[in-house]
Amino acid sequence: MELELRNLSCGYGQHRVIDNISFTINTREVIGLLGANGCGKTTLIKTILGLLPVHGGEVLLDGENIKYWSSAQIARVVGYIPQMHTPPFPFQVLDVVLMGRTAHIKPFASPAKKDIKIAERVLEMLGISYLRNRIYTEISGGERQLVLIARALAQEPKILIMDEPTASLDFGNQVKVLSQVNQLASLDMAVLMSCHFPEHAFIYSSRVVLLNEGKILHSGLPGESITSERLKTLYGVDVDIVTVKNRMNQNLQVCIPSWGLVESDENLVESEKEYALA
Amino acid sequence: MKTATPTGIELAENRRDASWKIIILLFVLLIIFIFSFALGRYPVAPGELLRVLIAQVVPLEATWNDTVETVIFQVRLPRIFAAILVGAALSAAGAAYQGMFKNPLVSPDILGASAGAGFGAALGIFLSFSMVGIQLMAFAGGLLAVGLTYAISVRIRHDPMLALVLSGIMIGSLFTAAISCIKYIADPYDKLPAITFWLMGSLASISQRDVYMVLAPILLGGILLYLLRWRLNVMAMGEEEARVLGINTTLMKTIVIGCCTLMTAAAVSISGMIGWVGLVIPHLARMIVGPNYQALLPASILLGGAYLLLVDNLARLLASMELPLGILTALIGVPFFLYLLLNSKWGWK
Repeated sequence: MELELRNLSCGYGQHRVIDNISFTINTREVIGLLGANGCGKTTLIKTILGLLPVHGGEVLLDGENIKYWSSAQIARVVGYIPQMHTPPFPFQVLDVVLMGRTAHIKPFASPAKKDIKIAERVLEMLGISYLRNRIYTEISGGERQLVLIARALAQEPKILIMDEPTASLDFGNQVKVLSQVNQLASLDMAVLMSCHFPEHAFIYSSRVVLLNEGKILHSGLPGESITSERLKTLYGVDVDIVTVKNRMNQNLQVCIPSWGLVESDENLVESEKEYALA
Repeated sequence: MKTATPTGIELAENRRDASWKIIILLFVLLIIFIFSFALGRYPVAPGELLRVLIAQVVPLEATWNDTVETVIFQVRLPRIFAAILVGAALSAAGAAYQGMFKNPLVSPDILGASAGAGFGAALGIFLSFSMVGIQLMAFAGGLLAVGLTYAISVRIRHDPMLALVLSGIMIGSLFTAAISCIKYIADPYDKLPAITFWLMGSLASISQRDVYMVLAPILLGGILLYLLRWRLNVMAMGEEEARVLGINTTLMKTIVIGCCTLMTAAAVSISGMIGWVGLVIPHLARMIVGPNYQALLPASILLGGAYLLLVDNLARLLASMELPLGILTALIGVPFFLYLLLNSKWGWK
């Protein structure tokens, strides 16, 4: 399955946020979407999901414009993983995962045995079968995020879209969730994921799209695309990108910002002197 | 943390558990239903009651006098059915509204539906409309009130849960003021007592015809809600997510709000304004069977019917004269809801 954005412009009401961008995602690819707050990541994702109207251009699934697709048609192809949240009612985890089957169930019907089997299989795949009968509002943030991933997988989508899935998670849970994302790529799916840490893009993505003020700054392989200059343009801070090895002897690219030196040039000069002396 | 994988049995148990609880609730309703025939000013012995009831199915020799039969079938039966219908309708509407607006604090009263329907019905009485006319007015008033409440709440850019409750209270007050206005100009000898007594909420003057009148709208709304019970779960996750999961939320919202308002208006048009049922019963049901609408909706319907029937029995028997039902439901509902609020772990999180 191929998702193509062709000259896409979109935004809220009259306000245009994304301006004339084009890129394509194919099966087994993981695209990382990087950009500062307010650059249009969420707007772009909501437009692909059909939640916001297209101002110009097209969203194409295997060459077919989704403009006139029903929400059920889109949901059978595109799965969405929102940021972790707390619903007002204490649903059981299994029921939350079963909600992913809604697009495959007739309007007046409820999930059947077959759907429960699919939900169970997905929970097992993510290694969270033990959560099945727990209360969704009482489990940890990381577990909740994994349940939302399970729900999207229960949709059996061809394309999986995630909006900063690690945004409100603590350090350990971020690692756990990202490890799972890595494995999702091996399923026959195309994955589009927005992320607020450029470092994370190195870990999971096969390609990155850098979004700046509603336009594509650059797209390509993460190693080639994420550079100090481009991060400066995106986020307005100085960053060094360093390659290090972890205890598993895996090579990791790490982004190290220059702390407290963004505003004042005087400090910058001082520190460069010290750096030179050392 | 538990790491062992639970077996399918555990899950089956959960679902079977809820089914058992619903069957028990059904029996509770049935027992109160049968018991209610024997209660009242005119004494009917239990044995006699049983024989009269059985005689409806199997021909029996009539050992009772005609008054007994009249009391049971002309006076008590319509009233019992009306209590069950009104209680079930208000509870089902409350449960569905709560999921729809993903807000555990809303109910037909808080959203202004009751006040709106009350205004419509009061206007209908004031203009000497027929029973059908009064019902249609109640429905229009209820829909108008819920529509206004929702339209205002989406424009308040604060806590959406609070916004909905606040705008509901405002719209409710507006319609209550409009009701007062009608009362003020109504004929004090004829229309005013009718409106006032009706507003206090009572099932005392229910006739068989009234029950038939509201049966269709309440059944229609209830059956549609029941068919959509799985989708109500998904809607409770929020509108955007429901859409992404494949629901046409605009259509779904229109149908569910339409059904809830239809049921509320039908109930209000025969019983007057009976508060708190639509808020308290869904919470109680959620405590018993959990938040899944597959079990919650039938549980709310059964529990609501049983509850209002029980309270109506109290209204008939507690004092030497009839107590207005709306006063009793508030007297019982408010302390109970306070208890729920203080132990909110049960109702919602």
